[in-house]
Amino acid sequence: MTVAMIKTKAEQGLAADFAAWARDLPGSAAIGKLREEAMAAFERSGLPHRRIEAWKYTDLRAAVKAFAPIATTDDVEVSTAELDAALGRLATIDADRMVFVNGRHRPNLSTAKPQVHLFTLGEVLQTGGSLAGLSDSEAMVALNGALASDGAVIDIHDGTTLAKPILIVMVAAGPMAQLNSLRHVIKLGAGATATVIEAHVVLAGAQASQSNAVLEVAVADAASLTHIMVSLEGSAATRIETVVATLGAGANLKSFQLTVGCGLARNQTFARFAGEKGKLDISGLMLGRGREHIDTTLVIDHAVPGCESRELFKAVLDDAARAVFQGKVIVRPNAQKTDGKQMAKALMLSEACEFDSKPELEIYADDVVCGHGATVAEIDPGMMFYLRSRGIPKDEARAMLIESFAGEALEKIEDAAIRDVLSEIVRNWLVAGHG
Amino acid sequence: MLEIKDLHARIADGGAEILKGITLTVPKGEVHAIMGPNGSGKSTLAYVIAGRADYEVTSGDILWNGASLLGSSPDERAAAGVFLAFQYPMEIPGVSTMTFLRTSVNATRKKRGQKEYSTPEFMKVARAAAAHLDVKDDMLRRALNVGFSGGEKKRMEVLQMALLEPTLCVLDETDSGLDIDAIRIVSEGANKLRGPDKAMLVITHYQRLLNYITPDKVHVLAHGRIQKTGGKELALDLEKTGYAEFSGKAA
Ligand SMILES: Nc1ncnc2c1ncn2[C@@H]1O[C@H](COP(=O)(O)OP(=O)(O)O)[C@@H](O)[C@H]1O
Ligand SMILES: [Mg+2]
Repeated sequence: MTVAMIKTKAEQGLAADFAAWARDLPGSAAIGKLREEAMAAFERSGLPHRRIEAWKYTDLRAAVKAFAPIATTDDVEVSTAELDAALGRLATIDADRMVFVNGRHRPNLSTAKPQVHLFTLGEVLQTGGSLAGLSDSEAMVALNGALASDGAVIDIHDGTTLAKPILIVMVAAGPMAQLNSLRHVIKLGAGATATVIEAHVVLAGAQASQSNAVLEVAVADAASLTHIMVSLEGSAATRIETVVATLGAGANLKSFQLTVGCGLARNQTFARFAGEKGKLDISGLMLGRGREHIDTTLVIDHAVPGCESRELFKAVLDDAARAVFQGKVIVRPNAQKTDGKQMAKALMLSEACEFDSKPELEIYADDVVCGHGATVAEIDPGMMFYLRSRGIPKDEARAMLIESFAGEALEKIEDAAIRDVLSEIVRNWLVAGHG
Repeated sequence: MLEIKDLHARIADGGAEILKGITLTVPKGEVHAIMGPNGSGKSTLAYVIAGRADYEVTSGDILWNGASLLGSSPDERAAAGVFLAFQYPMEIPGVSTMTFLRTSVNATRKKRGQKEYSTPEFMKVARAAAAHLDVKDDMLRRALNVGFSGGEKKRMEVLQMALLEPTLCVLDETDSGLDIDAIRIVSEGANKLRGPDKAMLVITHYQRLLNYITPDKVHVLAHGRIQKTGGKELALDLEKTGYAEFSGKAA
């Protein structure tokens, strides 16, 4: 039995503003109807809160005091130079860019490729079959459906290998905080290969945003997708990102999620094997300080036999920062020969930081190899002494040990150029902490 | 000159006293050996000289070239010329040996007012020093000490010692776990670092190493105190009689 909860101020404000906002969102009357249905679904459940098991550690109902308005115009001027400055080292990656400022595509900042199609929002919503199914149970996906303003639809044809990565940039710009709801779709045809990087950034001097993004990924048989997500939004931002991925037979999905500090971040991934011999690796790093809160939640569904899943998440936490790792692995009754391994490790740099790890294995098949583990450690004083006895000053020695801790996760990134860029972002975060 | 004066040290935060009044002087240009039974406090003495925070000096002093080391951090001591070759070198996963060596040497050179090496310059210097100690390129690329054999770890310690150009070397059982060829290589490395401005403390459980690194004096440490001091022949006597003579003398 669900107890009806009193609407929070944020929910009440949203309900009051929705009709007016919806008029400014793109799409036909039919799309408008879909938005209303999605909004109704969101209103039925409301913001997820701690009494919902999957949101136990990240209570959005308590955390979101008010929703910022959605961006109704795209009159904030953004130059490529400003964008590059916000991207920092990410700007050096040789990639085709699709840039969204305050929830809307900016063709002048983008360099789309012929194989890459940017669909209109209406088409985005119509392609969302699997997402529609999720809308009912996932409140934040429903809310995204109601408010989705734009998104990248990347459709890579059978057998095509993308020469360059695609960089999807989500930018918060301008003096006003906004609620951004982007919905992206990445589809790889059979045997296709691609790398897609998502970057969440805030322009210098801009208000950090609230962002509720959804990414739908479909990797067809024998296709291979590398997905990299980097969040550089800082301690004023709130971001929920939901990745819904399906893997075909023999498909390969490697996802790496780097959150470099965020006021409140929830990265949730729902991945399902739809064909045998699929391979999935979702790994990442959560770096938090101050009162930042970073939540990684995974649900891996081994629906078919013979698939392999690997997850390695690491958190580096300072001050009163908190990281959450929830990893659920479901092995369906027929999913024999499943091989699933999961590991979460946190490095605690202060007394007040917190790491919550909740692995869950739901195994209904008998011939499987599944395992999980979690460790929490502090900087090893013996290692510190060893490095310092070799003349390395305290801060540098500490940074070396933190980097080496993070390095094990970064190793998961196969592309050396991208790995170097992310390593440098991690290093800069460390240096900033001692500034 | 190294002067250790009535040094008392205990495990930090009020733990047991391990060093119970050590007095010892090693003039520049000399090598002294410290021998003693297991658990007598040899490694503790080495750590206290290098500045490990797990131990607390309750009284006495350690002077190197007339200045007390006690107020200095381990990295400041390294810059002042102190080097400890660890009995059990630490494994540092995720830090490549070459990167570690360069960081270590450049940090030390910077503090000593010397020019830092560029990466290519350092690679040359490191490779040349490594070749003398039979340290292969592959080891320099691997994570520091991770998966190294006992002998490889000890050679890596001596390589670090050679690169950091210390003036006060403390070798803590650098011979343990080494076969005779490795002992020869390591000893040659250590002997190269002897010099008129340098002092060396060689801690060992067995006399064997002292055939290769000839000491000027031998001290016997037991129960946290120097129990006996003699010439290099003392090591040979101990080899025959063992430490039985000292084991009863509880402080
Ligand atoms: N950090 C420590 N904590 C607890 N006991 C210690 C510590 N360090 C040394 N000891 C104890 O002090 C004594 C001397 O140890 P050590 O200096 O390692 O001896 P040696 O090197 O001569 O074998 C031993 O009894 C040892 O167990
Ligand atoms: Mg010892």
